[in-house]
Amino acid sequence: MSAGSIRNQIRTLRFMHGEISQAELGQRIGVTRQTIAAIEAGKYSPTLEAAFRIAQVFGVPLDEVFQWTAAADGQP
Amino acid sequence: MPYREKTAWLMLIAIAVTFGPYFTIAAKGQAAGPGPHLHQLVLFGVTVVAEALILIVGNALLAAMAPQDARTPPDERDRAIASRSITWAYYVLISGMILVGCVMPFSSNGWEIINAALAMIVAAELVHYGVIAVSYRRQA
Repeated sequence: MSAGSIRNQIRTLRFMHGEISQAELGQRIGVTRQTIAAIEAGKYSPTLEAAFRIAQVFGVPLDEVFQWTAAADGQP
Repeated sequence: MPYREKTAWLMLIAIAVTFGPYFTIAAKGQAAGPGPHLHQLVLFGVTVVAEALILIVGNALLAAMAPQDARTPPDERDRAIASRSITWAYYVLISGMILVGCVMPFSSNGWEIINAALAMIVAAELVHYGVIAVSYRRQA
């Protein structure tokens, strides 16, 4: 299985939706503010369900919130 | 600092200030033979009661300082961190128990074995709560 990295646009989407706070977003999808902060920082990959819930809050498809980039061969 | 990280640090501190002195005293005055050794039992009893008191008072204070956080059920990341920490602690515990149960009876007896078993349980708890604290610190 090739390694890769997951990027997300949550910070941008929060800004575009009236600077919704991490705490409010967390409350709407059922996680803590710290979990949103960890997802936003790319330190924690949410479950598929949480990812869909985040996309639903912003009213965008999942791939506008999260993008996966495959690593080049031989790189982590 | 997240509420669950604070409770993990509290647990680590409670273990350090109670079982740290316990094992130091036990190592200095290791009771020989298989007898019940009242002073060892009293030392263990005092240690457990002291740890329980620290945890009761500490958790009550933490909950009073952040009642909303204390009531919030664990989310998916909290559960993932808990699962990871229990996995690591399990490996420490099972390795320790194999050592204590299968190797030590050939060379030790009595309180040496009991204290070694206790030390492995405490080590597993340290790993359990240590992994939780580090995971929250690293936002993992």
